[in-house]
Amino acid sequence: MKLTKLSVLTLAGVAGLLLAGCAPTAPAAPEVKATTVRLLTDATGIDDKSFNAAAWRGIVGFYGETVDQATSKGKTYDVVTAQTQDMYIPNLKQAADEKYDLIIVTGFTWADALTETAKKYPDQKFLIVDVSWVGLPNVLQAVFSEHEGSYLVGVAAALKAKAEGIKNPKFGFIGGVPGAVITKFEVGYIQGILSVLPNAKVVDYYANDWGKPELAKTQAKNWYDAGVTTIFSAAGGTGNGTIAQAKEYRLKNKNVWAIGVDSDQYEDGVYADGKSAVLTSMIKRVEASTAYALNAVKNGTFKAEVTVFDTKADGVGFSDKNPELGQEIVDAVNKAKADIIAGTIMVAATYKEAKALPGFPQDLQAKDD
Amino acid sequence: MPDKALPPKEKFDLIDLFTRSNGAVSLLVIALGFVFGSLFVLLVGRDPVNMFSALLQVVTGWDSSRGVWNARYIGEWFVASMPLVLCGLSMAFAARTGLFNIGAEGQYIAGLTAAQFVALLFPPIPGLHWLVCVLAGLLAGAAWGGIAGWLKAKYTVSEVVTTIMLNYIALYVSQWLTHAFAPGANTYRTKAYPATSLLANPWIEDLTNGSRLGNGLWFMLLSVLVFWFIIDRTRLGFSLRATGFNKEAARASGIKVQSAITTSMVISGAFAGLAGVIVSMGSFSYGRVLPGMENYGFNGIAVALVGNVTAIGSLLAGLLFGMLNSAQPLMQSREIPKEITWIIFGLVVVFISFRNGFKLLADWRAKQRTKS
Repeated sequence: MKLTKLSVLTLAGVAGLLLAGCAPTAPAAPEVKATTVRLLTDATGIDDKSFNAAAWRGIVGFYGETVDQATSKGKTYDVVTAQTQDMYIPNLKQAADEKYDLIIVTGFTWADALTETAKKYPDQKFLIVDVSWVGLPNVLQAVFSEHEGSYLVGVAAALKAKAEGIKNPKFGFIGGVPGAVITKFEVGYIQGILSVLPNAKVVDYYANDWGKPELAKTQAKNWYDAGVTTIFSAAGGTGNGTIAQAKEYRLKNKNVWAIGVDSDQYEDGVYADGKSAVLTSMIKRVEASTAYALNAVKNGTFKAEVTVFDTKADGVGFSDKNPELGQEIVDAVNKAKADIIAGTIMVAATYKEAKALPGFPQDLQAKDD
Repeated sequence: MPDKALPPKEKFDLIDLFTRSNGAVSLLVIALGFVFGSLFVLLVGRDPVNMFSALLQVVTGWDSSRGVWNARYIGEWFVASMPLVLCGLSMAFAARTGLFNIGAEGQYIAGLTAAQFVALLFPPIPGLHWLVCVLAGLLAGAAWGGIAGWLKAKYTVSEVVTTIMLNYIALYVSQWLTHAFAPGANTYRTKAYPATSLLANPWIEDLTNGSRLGNGLWFMLLSVLVFWFIIDRTRLGFSLRATGFNKEAARASGIKVQSAITTSMVISGAFAGLAGVIVSMGSFSYGRVLPGMENYGFNGIAVALVGNVTAIGSLLAGLLFGMLNSAQPLMQSREIPKEITWIIFGLVVVFISFRNGFKLLADWRAKQRTKS
């Protein structure tokens, strides 16, 4: 009988696996003790094409490999994704048990879990990105001046609308979960726009989630239909919905743009040969922070500090990859960049500061806590 | 032994075993899930041994790749299992009354939110504070389930529809309430809980080398007992089961079907509410503005199905799925793709329909026999 055969096969399979389970596993011993690192991410993982992806790139790059050819993954470096927030602490403790030289966590939602774990493992070195308030002797904290990078893409978006001769251009901003970090993106972007077009109208929306592209896509469609020309999303995986909608509309010859975040998302926006719906991207070089921490561990210079990655330190910037941007706009944005570095342009980082600026919108959903 | 002492030709028959015993089907299904899971691991060029060593580490705390034993992993296995067991009980309890409670997720959130507020606002009296938190979570979960039960009993509104809607209402109300009214709340968390509200138990913590397992464990075990006792040993349980088997027959025999439906959903909701308390006061030291559904309630549906909607079955199935969840980071550490746990999870749920298949097969064979 067929079914009995299947059962026998199953039993044989189970037996085989049990036998295999008895075989000793011999991990290959590395000749030289290389620096080891574990990256811990939230549920979106390293395929978010954004924040976590950039952290991962920095790690892989440190070992002289590329994301597609990550041959040492599982030997000197690896990544563990937490499905729910209650897995943060066990994942941190597990990584500490497994004795990595450095453990990297990304994003402020990890701060509390890290604080608890780092106290229990005082000899374990940690890096947390985007947080500056943990303040423990074994934790390196990296923060970025996202408002400056966002200012630059705001300038680029406004200049492009101006160059295209759009009357009463409107701009959109889509955020993930509201909070002080995302507020920096939003207010910087708006200041950039207003520096070119002081009367431009800006709308904003928060998806309250980092992994729901469908929400951003629906919102982007509504806005594009209502005359918004450019949307900047700082929402992790959620933001990919904006790019998807912009691609769809550009294919239909509607003149709309998306702006990428964290990584250069030019490739994600490609809809036809050499044409991308992603006008530019606010580049936050998270990879600079992970590489910085790894080098510090390797060279024995690791110390508990808050390291700021700003425009001057090349921690943030913009992408000039899209040829549609044009040399004139690129030059103008580079000028603004030089002004920020020189200190002649000061970009507000909180909604409270920004609200005091002349003509700044007072009814945004941005939050400072 | 003389031959004549044997009973006359009682051949061992697998099909008979599987039609008679739901437990045997569950075991077969789980084994199949792991076999196919291993095949998938092989297909992507990884070693299934690593998958099993991760599972071994969850269950025994023994890390075979490093040769280290750490009891914390056992504790964390139970931590991951508790909400699954309780949400499984929630689904199973309603199912015994013929109700399909898709709302364990919402009841979980209601319980979690109520407990968070009590933890932050109730005076921190040692010994009493955390009990009040548990009670608040139980009541909130019960109330949330009760709404769907009452609507079903009174207006025959499908509980499937109402519970699904109530899930979303619970999530968004919880986010809003916590963010707007919880003490010290920002966009993702509240201020820290007072220590008196936590379910931590120093003895268990010590025993499991600093895991987060605490007093929630007793409540989970108690819930399994309560489920079994109500369903199998009380008049209430009998009337609930009778309603589940055949509503009209139950009504005709004098059972108050409407109140049975509401009661069932209330108790069902209380189990899920308790899960919310255990996660919130057991795994966290501060209240959260929930970032989204945490899926314990939905996974509870699978737990109940695999557990054959019984108390002990839900306990075992919850521990199984908890083991998979808990093994996920360990598998990733061994270069086994994390998705494999969901594949196994999904396969088990799909294969569980074998149960009906075996029944059909048995019916068919019975017919063939009577023909010949």
